[in-house]
Amino acid sequence: MNETRIEVKDLVVRYGEQVAVNGVSFAVGRGEHLTLLGPSGCGKTTTLRAIAGLEQPSSGRISIDGQAMYDAAERRNVPTEQRGVSMVFQSYAVWPHMTVFDNVAYGLRVRKQSPADIAANVERALDLVQMRHLASRPASRLSGGQQQRVALARAVAFSPTVVLFDEPLSNLDAKLRAEMRVELRELQRRLGVTSVYVTHDQEEALAISDRVIVMNVGVIEQIGTPEEIYNRPRSRFVADFVGSANLIKGKLSGEGLFAAEGGAVLKVNAPHKPRGTETEVAVRTAYIGLAPQPGDNQVAGTVRQRLFHGDFVQYVVDSALGPLIVRRPPTNLLEEGAPVTLSFSPEHTVLLQEQGA
Amino acid sequence: MPGGVEQVLTLQSAEALRPRWNWQAIITLAVLAIVGFLVILPLVFLVEESLNTGDPMAFPPQAYGIANYIAIFDEDIRVLWNTLIIAVMATVMAILIGFVLAWILTRTNVPGRALLERLMELPYYMTPLVGALAWAVIAGPKSGFVNQLWKRVGGGGDLVDIYGHFGIAWVMALFEGTVAFVMISAAMKSMDPALEESAQVMGASKLRTTLTVTLPLVMPGVLGATLFVFAEMLGSFAAALVIGIPARIYVITTAIWDSTLAYPPDYGRASAMGLALFVVMFGMLTFYRRMIRSGSYATITGKAFRPRAMDMGRLAWLLFGVCCLYIFLAVVLPIAALLFTSLQRFATVVLSQAQFTLANYQTALSLGPVRTALVNSLTLGFGVASVGVLVMALLVWIIYRSQFVGRGAVEYLVMFPQAVPRLVFGLALLWAWLNIPIPIYGTLWLLALAYFTVMLPLGVRTLAGVVLQIDKSLEECARVCGAGWVYQMRTVTLPLLKPGVIAAWLLIFMACVRELGASVFLMGPNAKVIAPSIVNAFASSGTELTAAMALIQTFTVIVALVILFRLTRGVTGEMT
Repeated sequence: MNETRIEVKDLVVRYGEQVAVNGVSFAVGRGEHLTLLGPSGCGKTTTLRAIAGLEQPSSGRISIDGQAMYDAAERRNVPTEQRGVSMVFQSYAVWPHMTVFDNVAYGLRVRKQSPADIAANVERALDLVQMRHLASRPASRLSGGQQQRVALARAVAFSPTVVLFDEPLSNLDAKLRAEMRVELRELQRRLGVTSVYVTHDQEEALAISDRVIVMNVGVIEQIGTPEEIYNRPRSRFVADFVGSANLIKGKLSGEGLFAAEGGAVLKVNAPHKPRGTETEVAVRTAYIGLAPQPGDNQVAGTVRQRLFHGDFVQYVVDSALGPLIVRRPPTNLLEEGAPVTLSFSPEHTVLLQEQGA
Repeated sequence: MPGGVEQVLTLQSAEALRPRWNWQAIITLAVLAIVGFLVILPLVFLVEESLNTGDPMAFPPQAYGIANYIAIFDEDIRVLWNTLIIAVMATVMAILIGFVLAWILTRTNVPGRALLERLMELPYYMTPLVGALAWAVIAGPKSGFVNQLWKRVGGGGDLVDIYGHFGIAWVMALFEGTVAFVMISAAMKSMDPALEESAQVMGASKLRTTLTVTLPLVMPGVLGATLFVFAEMLGSFAAALVIGIPARIYVITTAIWDSTLAYPPDYGRASAMGLALFVVMFGMLTFYRRMIRSGSYATITGKAFRPRAMDMGRLAWLLFGVCCLYIFLAVVLPIAALLFTSLQRFATVVLSQAQFTLANYQTALSLGPVRTALVNSLTLGFGVASVGVLVMALLVWIIYRSQFVGRGAVEYLVMFPQAVPRLVFGLALLWAWLNIPIPIYGTLWLLALAYFTVMLPLGVRTLAGVVLQIDKSLEECARVCGAGWVYQMRTVTLPLLKPGVIAAWLLIFMACVRELGASVFLMGPNAKVIAPSIVNAFASSGTELTAAMALIQTFTVIVALVILFRLTRGVTGEMT
């Protein structure tokens, strides 16, 4: 992954007066699977479309395999069709006036492959998504899940080296989405393509990516592996948007010590170099135990509410730190009103950067 | 956002780097100029002429004043009164028809609902002109079919007489009723059934639910339809022409037409009346759109629901009968009456006296002027539709797909003719081209220009409907797959647009073949078209020949309609 395939530098995209992407830089390595994650309007889709050449940036540089696709300084803008990337659209964009076969064969025909090669490549692509038996069906008579598979097959049929995904699973129901997630990950590994994936679904982002970029209002909040993003969120936004976390207010009171507003002092871990003015720490709901553990931060509390979710149980525990949310496996259920000791390791007590820093 | 100001500044310098698409701006400006010339200029001429108090034929006017406007109230107060009475009667009847049919077809389990809903479109395509002719044949005094039968069974005098205020209103209502139906049923369909269901869950009875929830929610839609239909009635021409003139009942539209026929033609008066009508209609339609857009009725979402149908039991068949009765009165009976008339030497319903013949069709198709008029209409239809669709497609692309700043203005201009009554537009064009030193007055070219201009809203809306339905990503995906612009247009955009383009072509073709309002003013002795010729034939020749001509015209439209339905399963967007 040391070889850079896509490089985006200081990208700015504007719609009229509005700045959709405000100076974004990142690189994607060969064969890497990178995800842009963020709420709607954060600029993730615009960034992706700029890579595809579907959106004209205002400034910055985008290069693929070392070649400039867009460069404001050189006034260079390679048209979409010459960039050699492939894309799966949110709406699938399966052409309703063609059959499944014709849809998948499109990119191959554009590239003037021989009919025999086209047939072979389409078959191979349809096999990948288990749609071969529907090759002759008109695309207008496919279910949502089937269209999604056709769009996928079409995107990989002409063996592109880069595939862009614009929220490809967002129109599927939850069950199908979970299945497709597994298949997508599998497909990526098998084809060895480089991919950039856009989603607003944090679970999806964490599950299928090598690296995740969290974006908000046109800028990057954090770049890292899924584990890094989850375990060491840099800002309040990341802690809140990815996974579920308790935010505790207070101020730094010494080397690695944080005085919470309720009076308790916590040992904390800072992924960045502390400035001394930070006011918040985040603790993941899944990392809080309800029994004392040696070496941990420990606070006494009382269970106020219990919600049984099946895969986990969510407790709201009143404590000196305020009400904290705790998620535990659904074993050894505690009654509401039970006294507990909240305990969480300093490693998981993450000091957050100030807003706007 | 921190650093927002600096950011904007650096961006503006970056903006300068973008390539400028000058050719795009040039084309757009050219289109804007041409459309503006076609749409706005005639109205400027019209305004000027309406203020002309000198010699009405002089251009530019020798004296200005508002005498023409004052004269409307001095001399034509009777005309205004007629217009108002007829429009009110017709609106009440049309809304009644529309409301009842809409309720039956959206809220009850009437049998054959889907089919009936399709049939409701038919009266719209019948045209009020044909309808008025047919009802003159059916319910005229003495020779009308109903009165002939009445006499046969021993009745004295005339049972019915269409030549009156009510008769005009009746014909207008019958053919505008379908517009009211479309609008009111849209309001009924856009209501979330959960709103009613929650009332029932709270314990309200069916009747109480209807009175407290359903009606208040549907009322704005009905009011909107009333306003729209009333405005249309004020500007309606065909029925008032065919039925009103023989009865010497003039409404504002026929009065406008009449003053241009006087000698010397009083274009000043006609212009003043036309502009007054335009202003009133424009005001009402603007108010209507404001009301629709204001969105104070949260129920009216874009989403179409299929509200729960009430189980009417045996009564359902009665409602079925009501729907059929409407189709019978508006379509079947008029067509049958015209057909029956056109096949006889002298129209009669008494079979023993009837002499059947095809001579009327023979005459219609061989009589020089009639045949020329028909050929002219078809030629205009083909020409305007073919060229028009291309230009309109360009306009649609400018309005909905280009980044050009002036595209809002283009859209406004293109939609403007919709707000002007056809007849007034025809008058404006007449006066403008009498005075523009390009000698196309009295030729088919002027008719072609006029047709193109008045069809702009229809064509652009139909095409836009299709363009907007095509998800942009369908085109983008082709580019990502490596296709160039030409390849993408050929393999993706055009195939997807095809049904819409054909639909627009057919709608424009049909509208051209039926066009009456603008044509009556612009037709010259050497450039006759079919609809005004039918009116002339009705005034001067027998009803038998007129019926044959009307049916030939209707048949042409039906052929186009059948193709259209085959292709699109109904384009009703034209109506609202």
